[in-house]
Amino acid sequence: MMGPGIAVLIFLLAAFAKPEETIPPKIDFNRDIRPILADKCFSCHGPDQARRKGGLRLDDEVAAKAPRKNGLIAPERVNDSLLLKRILSKDSEEVMPPPENNKSLSPEQKTLLTQWVEGGAPWSIHWSYASLAPFDSRQTIDGLLTRSLKNNSLELSQEADQVTLVRRLQFDLLGMIAKDPEKFHLSPSPKTSRDWKKAIDAMLASDAYAERMASWWLDLVRYADTVGYHGDQDHNASPYRDWVIDAFAQNMPFDLFTQMQLAGDLLDLKGPEVVRAKIASCYNRLLQTSHEGGVQPKEYLAIYAADRVRNLSTVWLGATVGCAQCHSHKFDPYTQRDFYSIAAFFADIDEEKHLRGGGGDTVPTRRPPEMAVVTDRDILALKEAQLRRDKVLDPSVPESLKQAMASFHHAEVTKLSKPRLVMITQSIPPRPTRVLARGNWMDETGELVDSGVPAFLGMLKNPKGRASRLDLALWLTETQSGAGRLVARVLANRIWALFFGEGISVNLEDLGSQGDPPTHPELLDHLANELIHSGWDMRSLIKKIVSSHAYRQSSSASPSQRQRDPNNLLFARQASFRLPAEMIRDSALSLSGLLDQKVGGPSIKPYQPEGYYSLLNFPKRGYKPSVGTDQFRRGLYIHWQRQFLHPMLRAFDAPSREECSVRRPNANTPRAALVLLNDPTFIEAAKSLARQQNPKPPSAQSGLANLFQRVTGRLPIAAEMNEMEELQKSALAWFTQNPKEARSFLGGSFTGEEAREGEFAALTVVCRLLLNLAETNTRN
Amino acid sequence: MSKTRVHKRALARRAFLSQGGLGFGVAAVKGLFQQSLQANNKPKSTLSERGVPPGIAGLPHFAPKAKRVIYLYMSGGPSHLETFDYKPELDRLDGKPMPESFTKGQPIAQLQGQALKVQGHLSKFRRHGQSGQWISDFLPWHGKMADDLCIIRSMVTDQINHDPAHTVMNTGTQISGRPSIGSWLTYGLGSECDNLPGFVVMTSFAGRNPQPISQRMWGPGFLPSRYQGVEFQSGGEPVHYLRPPRGISDSLQGELVHRIQTMDAIHNRERDQPEVRTRIAAYEMAFRMQTSVPHLLNLADETKSVLDSYGATPGDGSFASNCLLARKLAEQGVRFIQLYHRDWDHHGDLALYMDMCCKATDRATWALLTDLKQRGMLEETLVIWGGEFGRTPMFQGKGGPGRDHHMKGFSLWMAGGGIKPGTSIGSTDELGYNASENVVHVRDLHATILHQMGIRHDLLSVRNQGLDMRLTGVETARVLTEALS
Repeated sequence: MMGPGIAVLIFLLAAFAKPEETIPPKIDFNRDIRPILADKCFSCHGPDQARRKGGLRLDDEVAAKAPRKNGLIAPERVNDSLLLKRILSKDSEEVMPPPENNKSLSPEQKTLLTQWVEGGAPWSIHWSYASLAPFDSRQTIDGLLTRSLKNNSLELSQEADQVTLVRRLQFDLLGMIAKDPEKFHLSPSPKTSRDWKKAIDAMLASDAYAERMASWWLDLVRYADTVGYHGDQDHNASPYRDWVIDAFAQNMPFDLFTQMQLAGDLLDLKGPEVVRAKIASCYNRLLQTSHEGGVQPKEYLAIYAADRVRNLSTVWLGATVGCAQCHSHKFDPYTQRDFYSIAAFFADIDEEKHLRGGGGDTVPTRRPPEMAVVTDRDILALKEAQLRRDKVLDPSVPESLKQAMASFHHAEVTKLSKPRLVMITQSIPPRPTRVLARGNWMDETGELVDSGVPAFLGMLKNPKGRASRLDLALWLTETQSGAGRLVARVLANRIWALFFGEGISVNLEDLGSQGDPPTHPELLDHLANELIHSGWDMRSLIKKIVSSHAYRQSSSASPSQRQRDPNNLLFARQASFRLPAEMIRDSALSLSGLLDQKVGGPSIKPYQPEGYYSLLNFPKRGYKPSVGTDQFRRGLYIHWQRQFLHPMLRAFDAPSREECSVRRPNANTPRAALVLLNDPTFIEAAKSLARQQNPKPPSAQSGLANLFQRVTGRLPIAAEMNEMEELQKSALAWFTQNPKEARSFLGGSFTGEEAREGEFAALTVVCRLLLNLAETNTRN
Repeated sequence: MSKTRVHKRALARRAFLSQGGLGFGVAAVKGLFQQSLQANNKPKSTLSERGVPPGIAGLPHFAPKAKRVIYLYMSGGPSHLETFDYKPELDRLDGKPMPESFTKGQPIAQLQGQALKVQGHLSKFRRHGQSGQWISDFLPWHGKMADDLCIIRSMVTDQINHDPAHTVMNTGTQISGRPSIGSWLTYGLGSECDNLPGFVVMTSFAGRNPQPISQRMWGPGFLPSRYQGVEFQSGGEPVHYLRPPRGISDSLQGELVHRIQTMDAIHNRERDQPEVRTRIAAYEMAFRMQTSVPHLLNLADETKSVLDSYGATPGDGSFASNCLLARKLAEQGVRFIQLYHRDWDHHGDLALYMDMCCKATDRATWALLTDLKQRGMLEETLVIWGGEFGRTPMFQGKGGPGRDHHMKGFSLWMAGGGIKPGTSIGSTDELGYNASENVVHVRDLHATILHQMGIRHDLLSVRNQGLDMRLTGVETARVLTEALS
């Protein structure tokens, strides 16, 4: 370990090396001091009264500055400051934090705390709980970001090139490279700002956009097709997934979006909205459930309650209330009572039906209460299928084909006219909710609590009688008396991260005191204000973001940028990252023309290695891959088996959705490489891509160049052409010498003359190369 | 405070801020993803450039006793009362009502609402070896290695149903989404071999409706997917998507991989992104696995005497074959090898199924230990045998006599890897209900596993959801020092 003396020496040297350095920015309590106190001190001197040591409390200004014998902080008498004495002490008995806690302060942190006390120990309320800066509609993202960067001696980067921008927008707004770029005015490339606006508007109005946003939301609310525990049987949730897609397609305001999910069954609605709201209330049923033999209902009621509090608090409040199950939060002012008060909101959800009478080792399992629904899109699809069937009756179609198609369409129509079940929320007289000491469900001595919200986050608005889930939902987006400001910050920060790779507050999960202060607080407040003042309009916020220069910056990092801000937390450039699992799949299918763009419906089953479900039981599970074009639907429709997520999704870091997932890692691993190389879906895509190639390009070379351009958006350089050509030659040589292997490789997919099979197979190998490139699978 | 000190501090602080640190809150960045990005900038070694996880700086915390772990996971919950926990009093009270003093207010699984009566041992016990350890007659081969084992007879866990209990045993909590033991180890220490994953899982069952087991048990939780356990299948494709598509020769596949790497490198020349370098290495390892994994899984080269000693038949997917493969994986430097045998849930006909399970696992376990010993590998390999919980001293009768799930006291053993041989730790009460002496919680076992691998359990943490998450959680865990040699 480096001693403090050496550390100081290094700082001195560094200081001399940069004599021109300007005066450092003023200490900001929330940015510089609170994180140190939270990380190093709050576990013993924080909100958890039970574990508080020496009666000292450092999370609360009044308590921390209360007069004591040797003023704890004592800015007016720095030499007497007990805080400084203890943290600077060389005596291992006296120094704080105690060495055995492994939370020692670094020399820099000690310096900061000293400076802070010397400067009068200014305090401010934790940033995410504070009021928002006043909204000024004249402010812009670019203006605010430029100003904030300037304070850090940085500036925005230049605009990215056209190819990169066109690709970036498609990944970010559509979740894939468009199958039909003309539809979105992307081909030819937009030139003027009017062209760009047209393209952005078209993308934001598309179903593809709604699907892309739904993927993000489904990670948060842990949507899956199976129960998660033990037998991991299927449960009925797919209409909820379709409801989320529709909500984004209709640009449902986030406050209504919240109410429908938490309390759709309690809303006063009419007509078809009643059904839609009930489908939305499936949110409350998405959690992991079990009916394993020997499950004790009381225990599982406690487990479910905790699960719901965890999800609600992470998704909406950006908080980790989960740990208050056993004790008051150590870092944020959530008490143990708050945990159970929030849990009490959900105590009216009918769980008895499935815990006592439900279950069954069947697929799907029974999870009453459920409702049979046919969604609007189901009906639409049904009509289209009927239309297609009617077309079959056209006399010009040969009889044999007519029969085949008729039976196919008949099957389709039958399938679609079948209503789907969806788990819904049904309100029953609420179960009593007790504070459980240390989370122990068997302890019945705890105090009974009513539904309620944490006191420091405002209050419920005029609840009549017992506060309901609807009151909770209204409180979440109530900006004056409720948690709306915090929720707006949480949401704005996550939306920003979708388009910049990182949040303005980098910890997307936690905006509490263990999170990170925003790098550009005014910008975050502005985005939150935009949400609130637009009536929680997510699409309008997204449009503002993607229309900014900040968004259009190049993602290339200059050496100095990389040194100053290696992780791009300041956004003086755009982000570059590997695509999420679904986007990798969707783009490969779309580029190759295989993608079926049908929206919604029951989940689909892509090809999967044999025996992949062999470790499931109760009941034992087979796997039938979807037939027809269902095989080539977007990734968000893949059957989400919590215990055995499809290996492609798993290899590319998609979450199991057992718990809320706020952000996904995006590592490059050997297993991911094996998927892109050998998963039959990607082989099919490569074949189809090869087949799509203009049959008679002016030259073989321009054919490869076209393919390369189709996949990456740009023309290859000579060295890249050379790699493709060489591979094509080797592959052609192999298939020419081994025509049987060509046949075996192509399977039933080639219908042309035999002599060209080798060429087609060789071109397919080149297409595999293209689909495997880092560039293809990276958003820049 | 003297003026010089103030001046020095000011300078230090200014220098610090000028390095792009606290002024922007960058120093406050804590998330794992940032850590891993930084790790790419400053790798601990060149391992990440070879496509394998690099491990984190500063680990191991001290010289490890074990280089690897082989965890023989007896899924379903083997009865401690028919394996290692001999209670004469249990036989004396056989068939009598279970004294309420034991069961009152206690959680109960399938026996909810039923009259509880004592079930005596369903096998004989005898002492074995110099150490005189009590082992049941179901496990004759265990008897031969009694002097190698450290048997813990006072295990407790938090969960009484399979799925959550598995999750506790493998991740330290019943809440989904936390990393498994093997993921923590590969995250902390990195992977040693560059042609095999650092964390391998194999499963087996023999002859009854087996327990389901979730990928969560070897999942990476909130760690990146590169730290997850990789399942090896003994039949079919050994690793998913390992083989090139039909019609593609190994050499053509090799050329394809090579050209993907070349084109990535060409494109990366200007931007020089570390993630692309890692990707190129990942393709390299993927290609190496294509040959290394089938080669490793092929038992045809093993001598007949080795196969016989394990009782393995190549390609049969048995626990015995998996044990032999585990030894081969250990030789190759795989850090965490977990073998699940899924047959141990004996609510009824316990004697029959115990016999079946023990026949499928007892001898192979002995063979593995003996093989490791003969190769001089046992002292650096921590071997663990145990399930997610034990079984009730009370009778359950689904068919012939059986036992229900039990979490308040059960047995598990460790061997090799710096563990004191021929010892036992703790005990349960006279009926084998509650662990009563030297109670060992799952988290203590986890702390001990990490300790043997050179890791302080209280220091290996990752910030997630605003908390420093550890395998051993927030409660105090202790290393079982009395079990260490």
